[in-house]
Amino acid sequence: MQQLLNGIFIGSIYALFAIGFTLVFGILDRLNLAHPAVFATSAFVGIELVERGGLSLWAALPVVFVFGAVLGLVIERLAFRPLKNRPDAHFAGLISSIALAGMLIALLQWRYGPDTRRFPAGAFPETRYEVAGAQVTLAQLVILAVSLTLMVGLTYMVTRTRLGRGMRAVAENPTAARVLGVDVDRITAVTFAISSALGAVAGVLFAINVNTAQLGMGYAIELKGLAVIIVGGMGSLPGALIGGLVLGLAEVFAVQYIGSSWRDVIAFGLLFLILLVRPQGLLGARKVREV
Amino acid sequence: MSTPILSVEDLRVTYGRVEAVRGVSFTAEQGSLVTLVGANGAGKSSVINAVSGLLRPAGGRITFEGRDITRTPAHKLVGRGLVQVPEGRQILATLTIEENLRMGAWHTGAGAQRSIDAVYDRFPVLAERRALPAGSLSGGEQQMLAIARALVAAPTVMLMDEPSMGLAPKIVDEVFRVIAEIRASGTTVVLVEQNARRALRAADHGYVLQSGEIVHSGPAAGLLADERIVQAYLGVETTPGQH
Repeated sequence: MQQLLNGIFIGSIYALFAIGFTLVFGILDRLNLAHPAVFATSAFVGIELVERGGLSLWAALPVVFVFGAVLGLVIERLAFRPLKNRPDAHFAGLISSIALAGMLIALLQWRYGPDTRRFPAGAFPETRYEVAGAQVTLAQLVILAVSLTLMVGLTYMVTRTRLGRGMRAVAENPTAARVLGVDVDRITAVTFAISSALGAVAGVLFAINVNTAQLGMGYAIELKGLAVIIVGGMGSLPGALIGGLVLGLAEVFAVQYIGSSWRDVIAFGLLFLILLVRPQGLLGARKVREV
Repeated sequence: MSTPILSVEDLRVTYGRVEAVRGVSFTAEQGSLVTLVGANGAGKSSVINAVSGLLRPAGGRITFEGRDITRTPAHKLVGRGLVQVPEGRQILATLTIEENLRMGAWHTGAGAQRSIDAVYDRFPVLAERRALPAGSLSGGEQQMLAIARALVAAPTVMLMDEPSMGLAPKIVDEVFRVIAEIRASGTTVVLVEQNARRALRAADHGYVLQSGEIVHSGPAAGLLADERIVQAYLGVETTPGQH
């Protein structure tokens, strides 16, 4: 039971990270490899907000959300928009976003040094609950609640609102969207902002979960995020949610029952297995670019 | 003569070094139906796309309701009433019919639902299937959806690019009936068609395009009556729907 809950907590963070990743891919057909750097940067910024800004953990979350959104706008403006008319725009964006990620990590190292950083003592509430014999901290419950709320909110936004309709129109057919009067550049920028805001919150939640932020945390989650969106079905939001939870659970149970050095073997092995059975991904049966 | 609602002067469009449109000029009077006809590759779509702001002209001047719109992007023109029904329909297949119509109302805000209800009255087949993906409609129904979607945007000028393309003769009749209705309601229509005879029969004024230039223009009935023009540019009577 304890492992099941731990798997769900970490899995919900993976899902939140991956959903931001897959949002840009699903709507704009671009892979933003600066997303992991947003994740890492926001973890450090979150800790700094609590440490120096004196904010509580929970007050830091909306601030980081906005910070992530702004970072997303910067990424789109610098790494993607100037290249959008190139015939190889997909590949060029991939490379330029890797470069931007490298710059962000270098800035982090300059600002915070190479060492692991933690939240200040006393930042975490002491409240603990017992759920079916398992120990759960208040922080873990908040992690789960925030992830789920953001994912549900995003799904509602995409499926039910005017902005979401505009995003789906751009995803399916940018020319048709332009004919209908949609400012495709604006939708593109907003998509990046939302995606990065989710990635940023995922970064802080991750840092809260393990009380650690490291320069390499983006690299560690990058591969997991990519695996999750491939397994979930590229561009599928519910697919990313399920894929994230599956990966989180697989990791936790692999560590518990087989050994920590087998964690990645088991977790990624399971993902391979899923792809062998369903090459299109869990929810990738429909058109790839459908959200 | 009153000032035309839409006027295009010496329009030039280039793709790299290829000049697709070489100095085209035409005007559309308020409430009229103007057609640009010509063979495939004559530059008709380039003209339409330059007017609607999808393409940036290499030269010339376009005015709409007295204002220069030569370099105004499409997303700013739709809200001002210059609305395009694009070639190949460009419906959003994965969105529902209702969502397609709502996309038509992207700029109209509060009055959207009323105009959507109005097009449902006009196209009952769309109303019946409003919750289905637009991709489930037949080709003719998709063309009606494309027109309905443009109507929701409350156009003062509607630019239509090959609305009869790929449709069965019976459906083409219906499309032209709808075009006549739109025009009768006071909306100015600029119609681009390969189906030249059909378009000229519906139009007030016609322009014949060849290799990016206007080679003939005049009242549509006059163009149709001129044997030389018919022989040289409009070709033999084609069965609607065949290309």
